[in-house]
Amino acid sequence: MLPYILRRTARSLWENLSLNLVVVGVIAAGLLVAGAYLQVMFNLDRIVDSWDRDVHISTYFFTDVPVDRRFAVKDDLAKLPQVAEILYVSEDDAQAYLEEKVPDVQAILDELGAEILPASLEITLRDAYTRPTDIAEFVEKIQSTDFENIDYGQEWVQRFNNFLSLLQLLGVALGSLIAAAVVFLVANTMHLVVYARKAEMETMKLVGATWTFISTPFVLEGAILGALGSSLSILGMFGIHKLLFQRLQGYLQLALGAEELAFPPPVLLWAIVGAGVLLGMTGCWASVRRFWKAAS
Amino acid sequence: MIRLYHVYKTYGDHDALSDVNLHIQKGEFAYVTGPSGAGKTTLLKLLYGAAKPSAGKLLVGGVDASKLNASQLPFLRRNIGVVFQDFKLIPNRTVFENVVLALDVIGMSRDDSARRTRAVLNTVGLRGKEDAWPIDLSGGEQQRVAVARAIVNDPAILLADEPTGNLDGAMAVEVMEILLAVNLRGTTVLVATHDTGLMNRFPNRTVRFENGRLVSRG
Repeated sequence: MLPYILRRTARSLWENLSLNLVVVGVIAAGLLVAGAYLQVMFNLDRIVDSWDRDVHISTYFFTDVPVDRRFAVKDDLAKLPQVAEILYVSEDDAQAYLEEKVPDVQAILDELGAEILPASLEITLRDAYTRPTDIAEFVEKIQSTDFENIDYGQEWVQRFNNFLSLLQLLGVALGSLIAAAVVFLVANTMHLVVYARKAEMETMKLVGATWTFISTPFVLEGAILGALGSSLSILGMFGIHKLLFQRLQGYLQLALGAEELAFPPPVLLWAIVGAGVLLGMTGCWASVRRFWKAAS
Repeated sequence: MIRLYHVYKTYGDHDALSDVNLHIQKGEFAYVTGPSGAGKTTLLKLLYGAAKPSAGKLLVGGVDASKLNASQLPFLRRNIGVVFQDFKLIPNRTVFENVVLALDVIGMSRDDSARRTRAVLNTVGLRGKEDAWPIDLSGGEQQRVAVARAIVNDPAILLADEPTGNLDGAMAVEVMEILLAVNLRGTTVLVATHDTGLMNRFPNRTVRFENGRLVSRG
């Protein structure tokens, strides 16, 4: 039976070339939309990961905390397992840093007075303690009456993470919609292919063909069309990566401190091919099933 | 070979068949006749599983056809050849491909199925037409292709629904002669027809239906 199925599949692919190209196009378009979304999410994830890896906490002393007390606090904190590096920044160091980064600020600082910039401890955490919950726990732990404020810039990272989670949720909904639409379109396009072979299938039923015998070539055909469509969508994604993402690279680096934007890894690309194959198979299966149930 | 016990078939409120009791022996040749709408085609549909009886028992080759599910039906159909008035040939398949399909379905090897298909085409007088397209054949030749497809897997039963309905006199005779030859090989043949000329020319048992009722068992 296998040689027959392979012969039938090859023949059907060739005989219904134009319709099959439509199916490939539908799958490619649907997966390109989903793939482009994955591409964006993949790179946003990488950006957030890079921020997480570089967690930096600033603790600002009250101005009346004596210098020797500040160093004692620094030594205590340095002993904590979460701390990779700790640096004391005096008021003068802070002012020098600001003047170096923003030269025009000198006049404003002169007017406000030198004490406007408090002394601080700049803490870098070890990689194992950079999850948002770990950071929050650490900040809670080091709260003391010596510090006027503790700033760890993670609040907005957290908010951004939440935003990403929302995007992912939307992505799941969008992906489901696209999948349903593509299955619907593929099933309807394949229905035309099935309709073109209606006489043949009716005759096959009449001479005792089983459901497996009739449907397998179609499902195999769907798998091949799905693989072709998804491969095309990956080519499209590569085009988007080269033409659009790489042009945006500079802007994103400036705005978000993004690393080099990457093309999704092979595992994700294989998942897209798998999704294409599944879509093609499901669409064809649904279409033949509809015929099977309708035919006597 | 075929037994019907109090078989009914109802479409909506119309009785297509009503309380039919019939027995066709193994190896028998029988006509099913009657006016249009009498129930001839419905009877054949029940026999090859295209419809299920509304009530009653229907044994085909010892199997209760009314109780078969969709996955069992193909195996019943492999023992039944069916010939239609409109031939039901696949237009974009050659004569050979139309016939060999019945053997592909049962998973016969390519060499065996090719050999058998050529032999059957020879039997029905279509030698040399293997690569022809159905549209290029006469009506009689197309019906002979349909008969070849119906008998190529050597079924126990051959059902023919108005097999000569679309053919002129000479072609109709040719097809009937082939059906009779098939019957001589031991196949049970049931021919639904209202062509009295043919029935008189090739006399055999005749069962008659009127308004869904069996009025004569022959």
